[in-house]
This record gives sequence, C-alpha cells and structure tokens, in this order.
Amino acid sequence: MISIDSSVMNTETLDLANLPAEETALEIRNLDLRYGDKQALFDVSMKIPKKKVTAFIGPSGCGKSTLLRCINRMNDLVDNCYIDGEILLHGQNIYDKKVDVAALRRNVGMVFQRPNPFPKSIYENVVYGLRLQGVNNRRELDEACERSLRGAAIWDEVKDRLHDNAFGLSGGQQQRLVIARAIAIEPEVLLLDEPTSALDPISTLTIEELISELKSKYTVVIVTHNMQQAARVSDQTAFMYMGELIEYSDTNTIFTTPKQSKTEDYITGRYG
Amino acid sequence: MGKWFKSGSPCIWMTGGAVSLSLIAVLGLLLLIAWRGLSYFWPADIYQWEMQDDKGQRYTLIGELYDREEVPTERLKSAGYHFNSEPGEFVTRYLVKTGNREFVGLDFRWILETDIVSRSTPEGLAMIERTKNGNFYGYPVAVIEKGQRLELGGDVQNSLEEHIERAVDLADQAMTLQKQDIGAVNYELERLRLKERGYELDDALTPERKAELESKRQQLDQHYQGLEKQLFSLREQAGRDSVIVRDMRGEEVTLSLDSVLDVSYVNRMGFIDKVGHWFVGLGRFISDDPREANTEGGVFPAIFGTVFMVLLMAVIVTPFGVVAAIYLHEYAKKGPITKMIRIAVINLAGVPSIVYGVFGLGFFVYMLGGSLDQLFYPEALPSPTFGSPGVIWSALTLAILTLPVVIVSTEEGLSRIPSSVRQGSLALGATKAETLWRIIIPMASPAIMTGLILAVARAAGEVAPLMLVGVVKLAPTLPVDMNFPFVHLERKFMHLGFHIYDVGFQSPNVEAARPLVYATSFLLVSVIVALNLTAISVRNHLREKYRSLEH
Repeated sequence: MISIDSSVMNTETLDLANLPAEETALEIRNLDLRYGDKQALFDVSMKIPKKKVTAFIGPSGCGKSTLLRCINRMNDLVDNCYIDGEILLHGQNIYDKKVDVAALRRNVGMVFQRPNPFPKSIYENVVYGLRLQGVNNRRELDEACERSLRGAAIWDEVKDRLHDNAFGLSGGQQQRLVIARAIAIEPEVLLLDEPTSALDPISTLTIEELISELKSKYTVVIVTHNMQQAARVSDQTAFMYMGELIEYSDTNTIFTTPKQSKTEDYITGRYG
Repeated sequence: MGKWFKSGSPCIWMTGGAVSLSLIAVLGLLLLIAWRGLSYFWPADIYQWEMQDDKGQRYTLIGELYDREEVPTERLKSAGYHFNSEPGEFVTRYLVKTGNREFVGLDFRWILETDIVSRSTPEGLAMIERTKNGNFYGYPVAVIEKGQRLELGGDVQNSLEEHIERAVDLADQAMTLQKQDIGAVNYELERLRLKERGYELDDALTPERKAELESKRQQLDQHYQGLEKQLFSLREQAGRDSVIVRDMRGEEVTLSLDSVLDVSYVNRMGFIDKVGHWFVGLGRFISDDPREANTEGGVFPAIFGTVFMVLLMAVIVTPFGVVAAIYLHEYAKKGPITKMIRIAVINLAGVPSIVYGVFGLGFFVYMLGGSLDQLFYPEALPSPTFGSPGVIWSALTLAILTLPVVIVSTEEGLSRIPSSVRQGSLALGATKAETLWRIIIPMASPAIMTGLILAVARAAGEVAPLMLVGVVKLAPTLPVDMNFPFVHLERKFMHLGFHIYDVGFQSPNVEAARPLVYATSFLLVSVIVALNLTAISVRNHLREKYRSLEH
C-alpha cells in the first residue's frame, strides 16, 4: 500500500459499469488493435465519464498511450495499424467510414509528451485551431486567445509578449501554451499523453493544478506512468497490463483496495 | 613521427590545405578576370612614336600600347626582315592600337622596338570615341559650327566638349524618338495588320470593319510622318557641327559630331580624372547597348536578358519542384513506382545540358510553340510567334534542367521537420493539406531557398542549351518594353554567357575584343554573386523566423 494523503484523493464514486448515457463522454467497446501481426490491445471495453479526469496507468509498453491515441484516431497515421471494435462518441462510432476525422479531432484535443509549439508567435499558436475553422475576425481571435491562455494558467506570464516566438518560453510554459492551444477550439474531450514527464517538478505541479481546473469544462483522459500523479489528479483510474484492461474503477478504490492482484502488485511497486 | 600521425594533425593539415588551395584558386581566378577586364576601362596613355622601318622610311604612329612580347630574331630574319644593327637573340615588339579604322586599314599593329626612333606623350593628343568605326586618335585642331571654322585655342577642351555634349544630347533624343515613339507606332500598325488578317481568316472582314481599320491606319501613318520629320530634323541638328582632327599621317580629317560620343585628352588627365573616366567607362559598359558587332559599347541588353530569364526560370521551377517534392515525400506510397520516380529524378540531374537544349527545341519550341501559334496566333502565320525560340522556352528548358536540384533540396528540408509538429497540427483538426500549407512548407522554406540558390547558380551559367532555344547575338528589343502587353515572352534575348562566347570567338576583331571578354566574364560572375547573395539573405531571414525545435 502506498501512502497517499487522503485529503488529496477524490472521493466521488461512480458506477462505471452502468454509466448512464448523459454522463458518458466516451464508450470503448471491444477494442482490438494490432500493428501488423503484433497485437497491442486485447478486447478493451470501458465507459469514460463526462467532465471528470480519468487516468490510464500501467508499466511501460502496456498499451495505455496506444489506447489514448485511438480515441482521436491518431493511430491512423501509423502504417500497418488495424483496429477492430468501436469507440462511441455521442453514441456514434468514430471509426465509421463516414466520420470526418478532422472534425473528430477538433472535438477531441490532444497534448503530447514533449511540448510541440509551432514556430510562430504565442498568439498565432493559440489561435491556430480557430484560424483553421475560418475565424479571422481580430477581436474574436483576441478574445479566444485571452480566454485560452487564462484557462491554461499562463496568461499573466505571456500577456506582454503575445507576439514573441513561442520557442522563447520554458518547457513548462510551452506545455501550458500547448494546452491553451488545445482548449482554444473548445473541445469536449482533452487527451493528455504523459504531459509532465518531460518537465521539472514545479512545472509538473502547476500543470496538475491546471488539470483539476480543466475538468470543470472538459472531460480529461490522462496517461501517466507516475502513480502519485494519477492518485493526485484523477477521479477514475484504469490499470492496463500487456494490452489488457485489468482493472477500472474510481481512483480511491484502485489505490487503497484494488481487486486484482496484478493491480496491487503494480501499485506496491513489485514491477513498474 | 608516429605520434604526430596518430594525433590526427596530418589530416587537419591536409583538409585545411585543400580548402586553402581551393579558395586561392577561386580568388585567383576572380582577380585575374577582374584585373584584365576592369583595366580595359582605365584610360591608357596615347603615345606618339617616330618610326623608321627597315627600308629607311620615316613615319609617325599614334596610338595606345596594348601588349608586348619577345620574338626570336631568327624568326623575323627568316620572314625577310633586315636589321640595321644586330639586336641580340630576342627583339621586343609592341601591339599598338591605332584606331582610325577607315584610314589605315587595321585597328591594331605590331611594331618592333628596333624601328622606334623616339616616343613621346604629347598633351594635345585626344582619343575620340565614336559610334561607328571604333576609336580615333589625333590632334583636334578646329570645330566647324554651322559651316564656320573655329580654331581651338586657349580653352581648347571645354569648347569642343560643349559641342560634343550638344550633339550627343540631340542624338540621344533622336534615338529615344526612334525606339519608343516610332517603335510604338510600328507596333500598333503591326497589330492592326494582324487584326485584319484575323478577321480575314474568320471570314468576318465586313466593309465597316475594313473602313475602321483603314482609318486607324491612316491616323497612325500621319502620326508616323510627323514623328519621322521630327527624327530627321533632330538628326540634322545633331550633325550640324564637326570636328577637324589631325591624324598620324599629318592630314586633317573631318568627323561629324553626330557620330562622336566623347573626346578625352588622356595625356593631360591627372589620377583623379582618370579614376573618374574609369567609372564613367564602367557605367557606360553596364548601361549602354552594344555597337560594332558586340565589340564595343555596353552589355546592358545581355545583363537584362540574363537576369530576366533567370527570374522567369525561378518562378517556374519553384512551384513545380516544391509540389513534386511534397508529393514524393508526403503522399506517395512507398512502392516500386515511387522508387522509379526517384531514380528518374536523380538521373535527370545527370543529363548533359545540350541535350536539354535539343529537347527544348523539339518539344517546347516546335511542338508546344507551333500548337500555340495554330490556336492563338493564326493571323501571324506563316511567321511564327511562339513557334520559334524565345525567352519563355529558354526559361522552361532551364527549369527542367534545374528541377532535380530543387526537388532533392526540398525533400531534404521536409524530412528534417520533426513529426511532433506535424502531429500537433493534425491533433488540432487540420487536414494533411492544411498542415502542409500552414506549418510544413513555411518550416521547409530555408531548404527550398537553398534549392533555388543552387538552381539559379547553375542556370545563370548555362549557355549551350540556350543557344538552341532563345539566345541571339543581337536582339533589337528587350523582352520588356512599354508596348502592351509589356512583357513579351516570345521574344529572343541576349545572354551574358553567350555574349562572352560571341565576343571572344565570333567577333571580326579578336584583339579588340579580348579585354571585353574578361570584363563581361567578370560582370557575369558579379551578377550571379549578386543573385546568390540576395537569395542567401532571404534564406537567412527565413531560417531565423522558423528556428527549429532544437533549443
């Protein structure tokens, strides 16, 4: 049992197996994924609740990032990647042939492990998504920029240098900029793929606080290999091992009374 | 000794030495061309020699000293030369430019040192630059103004200069009138003729139209008559005065001032005057049109033609090359067909340039140009408009020649862009095309510029293919002028590289032309360096702007 400050833990409990439709952001049904002949995900099924933080944890190579990337179809970019099963957003399978992938990705934003701002100014980075949608009105863009940068808790630091190159920011600031860029287009779901693993502890803390604020407006799914972070930040946690979903429950239960032995072994540090 | 080898020092010496040698070679080449070319404009002293040939005849020779060499005495003796006193094993002989082509036959003459009695540099000697027949050397003695002979005395130089300035000014006005105004009238007349022919071919030449065209033609003819009168009067005025010069034979020659460009009393010039004269000469070289079968005058049309064609080529090759590279890098599936395309592109770079010229002639000029003529310019036939060599076909030919360079450069630039940026854009809901247009291509723009720089450098120096598809020895008009549609892509043009070849090997007077070859070579190198520096500065600016993620 790892020691966790219980005051930090989230105490709401949801019945994840029977989540009603209006509280479900995403439903993953029998998802199989293979790269060529090698199968990476085995029959994953789960329902992700709205406006809560769900964490995927597990040892390296267990498929948590792969699963995350399925949700906004970023795995389409990989050659030889074959998917069976469904992921339902608003009751619609996102892998349906008629689905507009660009529209899906506008609705399901992603932040990557290493900050990847564009070689443009801070302002242009944030409004990139809006310009893609055809918004060119200066006032609308200004307002969206301020809203997003405030939402990412970086407005005060950059408000005087919006038109400077984004690469002038530090790593932690760049990651928050990327988060601002993602929320500028007001998605429903935000996918965070190990967002703080490349950052220093102070920036990590800032971003964890930010995630707690973000869940009031967005459904957040975060992949992390830092268990303490998962415990601090998430409401639900899914533990994966070797491409299978081993246990999925509220964070409290996973970290204090896990039902599966593999889960318990992982959180007690028997393997990592 | 072994230690020194092991430490790697010999490698450093070798590599550093190789770089130094290369640099020295390049700089040496440039300095050689610059020296021999630019010294052409430096006003040389005009000497007067008193000569006595081997038969005892005395004569005077006036001219510039061009060259000297040592000749074995034996060779001269066997050629039938008699020496009054034994000169030793070698005799020096000098190449003298005597000018005065219409009176003494040859511009250049070799004289033996043994024949020289004395040499002086009289201050009254002048070099007179003319529009025809080259330079004239002699003593200006008088000016004939309106039939009146005015002796030049006292303030000799200024009086003559004023008269020449006036004549040159009038001659310039006449030239402008001829080229621009009369040229425009001729252009309009030609268009009317083509319009009429067009109607004829379409069976649409109604009497009204015919009458309309006829009246327009009459208007233009009247305008032409008026301009022609003006032109003749200007020319007459320009030729009102003449200068009387005493040449080396002692005779007085009258030169009409409408063919005189400048008179310089070179022997009187101080250093600063000579520097000034040098700059003026250089300026004229760059801005004037050529004269005397390209052996005199300036090279402005060639500079213009070269730069215009290179820019046209750059505008054509960049979009094609970039789009091809994007297809190969981003969209093509990695199969055998893509491999074959890549191999084909690389091989394209190895084809000899003259083969491109032949291809350009056959495909672009005859096939494409011929078809364009049939479709759009039937009224001009059988005289070809686009079906003959022209600047557009030259630009297209060179564009194909330099296409592989641009494609390879751009692909290299694209592959250096980290995929994280690409994924970031796609994750925001951009399509692949939007990502390319908004993020990838701007980030690859320094590499694209590199490709362009290499393409320009290669194309500006190619001459062989151009000879087949558009370059001529003398083009009467520039591809860009004041007549609608202002840019004439079907016209032939002049090119600095071809000019060098033409002046150096095809001119009637090779000795006169040699310094001009060097000067034009230096100018070509300068033009290319200038184009490259511009492109490099643009690329550096872009590099700064799209600084990569390595920080």
